[in-house]
Amino acid sequence: MQEIVLFGIVGSTYLMVIAKRIPALIRSFRYQSLCLFLTTLLVALREQTIDLYIVAFLLFVLKVIVIPHFLYRIIKKTKVSEDLGLFINAQMSLLWALGLTYLSWLFAGRLSTSPNGTGPIMLAVAFFVVLTGTFLMIFRMTALAQVIGLLVMENGLFLLAATISGGMPFFVEIAIFFDVFVSVLIMGFFVYRINKFFTHIDVNKLSRLKG
Amino acid sequence: MQIFIILGIPILLAGLTAFIRNHKSAGILNCVGYLAVLIASGILLKNSVCSSAPVAFFYFIYLDTLSAFFIFVISVVVFAAALYSIGYIDNDVEKGTITRQKAKTYYILFNLFCASMFFVPAVNNCGMLWVAIEMTTLISAFLVGFYNTKKSVEAAWKYIIICSVGIIFALLGTILFSYADSLLEGTNTLNWTDMIANASRMDKNILKIAFIFILVGYGTKAGLAPMHTWLPDAHSQAVAPISALLSGVLLKTALYAILRFGLIVINGVGFSYFGNLLVLFGIISLVISGGFILVQKDLKRLLAYSSIEHMGIISIGFGLGTPLTIAGALLHVFNHAVTKSFMFFGAGNIVSTYKKHNIKALRGVIKTLPFTGIMTLLGMFALTGFPPFSIFVSEILIILGAFLKGSYGIATTLLLFLSIIFGSFIFNYGKMLFGNLPKELKKQSEPLSGKLAFLFLFFQISFGAVVFLLFQKDLLCFARKLFQV
Repeated sequence: MQEIVLFGIVGSTYLMVIAKRIPALIRSFRYQSLCLFLTTLLVALREQTIDLYIVAFLLFVLKVIVIPHFLYRIIKKTKVSEDLGLFINAQMSLLWALGLTYLSWLFAGRLSTSPNGTGPIMLAVAFFVVLTGTFLMIFRMTALAQVIGLLVMENGLFLLAATISGGMPFFVEIAIFFDVFVSVLIMGFFVYRINKFFTHIDVNKLSRLKG
Repeated sequence: MQIFIILGIPILLAGLTAFIRNHKSAGILNCVGYLAVLIASGILLKNSVCSSAPVAFFYFIYLDTLSAFFIFVISVVVFAAALYSIGYIDNDVEKGTITRQKAKTYYILFNLFCASMFFVPAVNNCGMLWVAIEMTTLISAFLVGFYNTKKSVEAAWKYIIICSVGIIFALLGTILFSYADSLLEGTNTLNWTDMIANASRMDKNILKIAFIFILVGYGTKAGLAPMHTWLPDAHSQAVAPISALLSGVLLKTALYAILRFGLIVINGVGFSYFGNLLVLFGIISLVISGGFILVQKDLKRLLAYSSIEHMGIISIGFGLGTPLTIAGALLHVFNHAVTKSFMFFGAGNIVSTYKKHNIKALRGVIKTLPFTGIMTLLGMFALTGFPPFSIFVSEILIILGAFLKGSYGIATTLLLFLSIIFGSFIFNYGKMLFGNLPKELKKQSEPLSGKLAFLFLFFQISFGAVVFLLFQKDLLCFARKLFQV
């Protein structure tokens, strides 16, 4: 079961890499978060602790429902073009993503101390998600894509923490959720502002400050 | 007990200012509050240096001499910035740059920003440390984009995105640290006290990889080159008192986080790994900032690049790791915080009078703003490490320590770049302060609160090091103990 969910995470991440329009990116982010929620739920069912149920619930509410909804709203309100602005095209991005997958597999192999079970695979998936988030932030031009890239990185870290150190302490987890939520709100606010002042959200064209 | 005053007052003030209608009285209230914080943190530092036993509450708050020292530095600069804000914000309101409502927003954000910075050195849990540092970014992004111009929004966006990515890497590092810890115990609390206790038994490879992520992540926030690119933008666009806070203490809180994890790495892997990395990043920062200072045309960006330079000097000081250089680096943390805020206050007055950042357009400052002009001149000498001022003392300690350790290359690089930077500062500031006055400008009066802030900090930049050196034995003793395995 866990392997299928992990496969879902990898698949949705690949979908993000080849997405050309912002709504498609947000949709794939939603799938990824859903898979992440399922992973947490599986762990919660196995361990039967109330903390994990709360974490899974929060994950579902924030990352599957609230944040994607908020991002869709921004697109509607700002009325900018839905084009993501790819620096490198979808085919090349896919090649990059394959490279990143291999890289994270190697890295996970070096870091993991117990080669048995799903441990190393989960580790590799987590690193892959983090790396893909970084990739999205660097090679996509719109401000919204950068916000989503950040969220993807955060998803990867959540998976990493759940995999290797049995999750973070409960109150830290809650604080980080709160923090991510606030940061998305604030970034959304700044996306509005950029749109208001520049009438576009193309980060590549923000080049007034130099030197 | 003082720690509750220090953490409580900023939050209390943020709540109170929401109900005060007059922005001037809000500013004065802030000052009184932060004076109390300053006194409390002074007592805290004195107690912790004398007793050297850490204070802990419920595993959540943990204070040793290192945290008490950073809290003291923060409270000094915050008090000065609160004092300076009264006159600066009032001036902005009267000129119509910002509305009264916006002035109130400023004070609320100011207090929240300070509260989040005070939390950083006080928490024990490394996860909460991360949350506190991320909070400082999120709140100060509004203060960077405060004037709502194209440039300031752009600066705020770059600031929030680059620092958030940086800090995500720091979270990755934190998770790897907790992984190394959980391999030993089975569970992990992420508490720093637990991790340092287990440090020597942790897996060395994981610690090494984790510390790279920590250094890159928090190093972004600390303004270490080559992750510094947000810094000149944010510092040049923020409100002047906030520029002072960003440069003076925000960078130091991130440095504090690096040191905290560094202590674990030193215990687990040995000093040279930590030391070499810090020296490497320090040298890169020094070289890059030196280049940009030489060709800089914007006053506030000049000061921002100087911050990168000083962060580089501080990390070289910690990286060399002899008691002398550590004492120098600790002193430099304090000295740079006060001197750079002093210079940003001066730059703020100059920019708000001339309405320009470009150094070429700023001439004859001493004639328009006599008090600010003279103070800026003295501050410039202090910042570049001229003898009677306190930055000279800390820099000479670091250079002396480097020579005594036998790292001649590092010491020579340091001296070379210090002299290059000294030259370009004299060149830029000389023309700016003494040149011919533009015709349309007349001599202007300056608000009392601004002058008081200058005098308060002037005492620190000229005698601060002397006062600290009176406790030299304690400081050296603390420096020797700090990185001891």
